[in-house]
Amino acid sequence: MSVNYNKNSPSIKTRYAKLHQKENKNYTPETLSLTSQLLSINPEFYTIWNYRRQILTEGIFPLKSATEVNDLITADLNLTMSALRQNPKVYWVWNHRRWCLEHVPENPGEDQSNWRKMSWVKELRVIESFLDADPRNFHAWNYRRYVLQSPYVDHTWEQELNYTTRKIESNFSNFSAWHQRSKVYTSLWERGINDEELKSIKNQEFNLIKQAIYTDPGDQSIWLYHRWLVGEGKDEELLRREIEMIEELLSIEPDRCLDTLIHYKTLLLRHRYSLKDRDECITLSSRLRQLDPFRDGRYQDIANELLSMPNN
Amino acid sequence: MKSNISTELLVDSHVKFIQSLGEDRDLTYHLTTHLRMNAVYWAVTALCIMGRKEALDREQMIDFVLSCWDDEAGGFGSHPGHDAHLLSTLSAIQILTIQDAVDRMDVPRVVKFISSLQTSSGTFAGDHYGETDTRFSYCAINALSLLDMKYLTPGTAVIDVDKVIDHISRCRNFDGGFGSGVGAESHAGQVWVCLAALSILGRLDIVDEKTLGWWLAERQLPNGGLNGRPEKLEDVCYSFWVLSSLSILRKLHWINRDALISFILSAQDPDDGGIADRPGDMCDVFHTLFGIAGLSLLGYPNLQDIDPVYCMPAKLIEKKGLKKTWLALPRHLS
Ligand SMILES: [Zn+2]
Repeated sequence: MSVNYNKNSPSIKTRYAKLHQKENKNYTPETLSLTSQLLSINPEFYTIWNYRRQILTEGIFPLKSATEVNDLITADLNLTMSALRQNPKVYWVWNHRRWCLEHVPENPGEDQSNWRKMSWVKELRVIESFLDADPRNFHAWNYRRYVLQSPYVDHTWEQELNYTTRKIESNFSNFSAWHQRSKVYTSLWERGINDEELKSIKNQEFNLIKQAIYTDPGDQSIWLYHRWLVGEGKDEELLRREIEMIEELLSIEPDRCLDTLIHYKTLLLRHRYSLKDRDECITLSSRLRQLDPFRDGRYQDIANELLSMPNN
Repeated sequence: MKSNISTELLVDSHVKFIQSLGEDRDLTYHLTTHLRMNAVYWAVTALCIMGRKEALDREQMIDFVLSCWDDEAGGFGSHPGHDAHLLSTLSAIQILTIQDAVDRMDVPRVVKFISSLQTSSGTFAGDHYGETDTRFSYCAINALSLLDMKYLTPGTAVIDVDKVIDHISRCRNFDGGFGSGVGAESHAGQVWVCLAALSILGRLDIVDEKTLGWWLAERQLPNGGLNGRPEKLEDVCYSFWVLSSLSILRKLHWINRDALISFILSAQDPDDGGIADRPGDMCDVFHTLFGIAGLSLLGYPNLQDIDPVYCMPAKLIEKKGLKKTWLALPRHLS
């Protein structure tokens, strides 16, 4: 819906003032349509969203059948959809959409959860269209995680992993997707899997990151993820393998690789300390200082820490 | 795009820009009522940092804040007639603290409003409609500590402090940063609110400082500006969120000072004053404050110190006994 106004028109002010007779508790269909108009002008009027929910729950729903309530909720889902199409980053609108989903009534027929299930499952498709339009929209990602938690949505961790793989393969720098992957794995590990499985998952993951690194070694996101997988480097064999991979890469993109290389070599020093290896790390860090003068202070701190590292 | 790029902070123009904000009640004014209380806080804080607090009338400001009282909820809305919300309630408390007028509001009711918003998972909702966010946890911690540390101290606490800390720690991600809720991606703004809340509560020990420090340092782009997440555009407001986070971690020297100063200064409007998100864009009071606050943390000459935990004048926070262990860069003389 579009509302015409010119700069001198008092319409917003008067309509707004009218709505603010909240003491009157005017919960009628007329005030409901007034809130629609105001929200289409400015979806950030959080007080009007609040008022709208009050009108619905206190003035309108009690007089309606379940089918009519379901239709009204659907209408509000559509209202938030058109608001989000215009501006997909308004907190209040996402919030109202959650409220809508949570207020889908139970249908009076046999299959009690049908309407609700349909709404939540549909929501997963809706959210994918938002993430297609902007794969980094964190509102949409948050909303996705919220929808996935619903008992009405059957979605396995493998499915979610596949989804993030698709997102990553279309753009390796999609940090939001890497992040989501870290969450899927964390919850998997927290539930407990055996060492063999863990090792095979990690190896698969290292292969995917390797592709990403070779595509854009300058992207910090991927290195962060790589470091997270390596962890504290307790698996020395793995640590050495990854160090070797980075050393091969060093000739292409020294800058970012060096940072992680120093990090891993420092981890290795904790396993096996030698002055020679420590000095190599310090030399690498001074190379990094020259390559990336913006973050000189950090590299200096890293070198100082290496100098004061206990040699046990 | 403006051709004459400023190389110094245009204090007088920014003061004029801020003074003009309330005058022109055009459509934009009415479309931004939902942010008015925050805007007044941004304006008065920016003025304080520039040493020009008196440029806005004290009594008028206090009257405005009090006129936003929502008696039904027991908190402050963003504008007269708007519903109470934690965001505007924090701004109201900050303004009244800056104006030394906290005694003009109903403190016990506000405390009750804030503490009623803690949820069973430990985090806070912004209002009784239930949207939760680590931003709101910070608002609650900040507001209660400004009113009286006793509200957060064991024995007299009005909220479950351990639960807040536990919730924030569950919002921590593999990159060391924090998101808006459990599972949410790290974002510089959310990193700041979580670090600041932990700093007030004395629990920075749960932070992976090295990984997070690296993530924050990498927010600086080749043009000197900072972004809020990997592979995003630079924006002046992140000058504050990234810098204050680094300052809380005492790692402000991990980014390049001069390049960032030039970037912030280039986003000023030399004709009408104000600072924009990036050079050539429309200015607003939000980016004006966060640009100036960033410059203050970087030791830009002739500015007052800002406290990165509270985003308020440092002297005032110190006087209240709330100063934490943050570190800003030394102030340059010219
Ligand atoms: Zn911004």
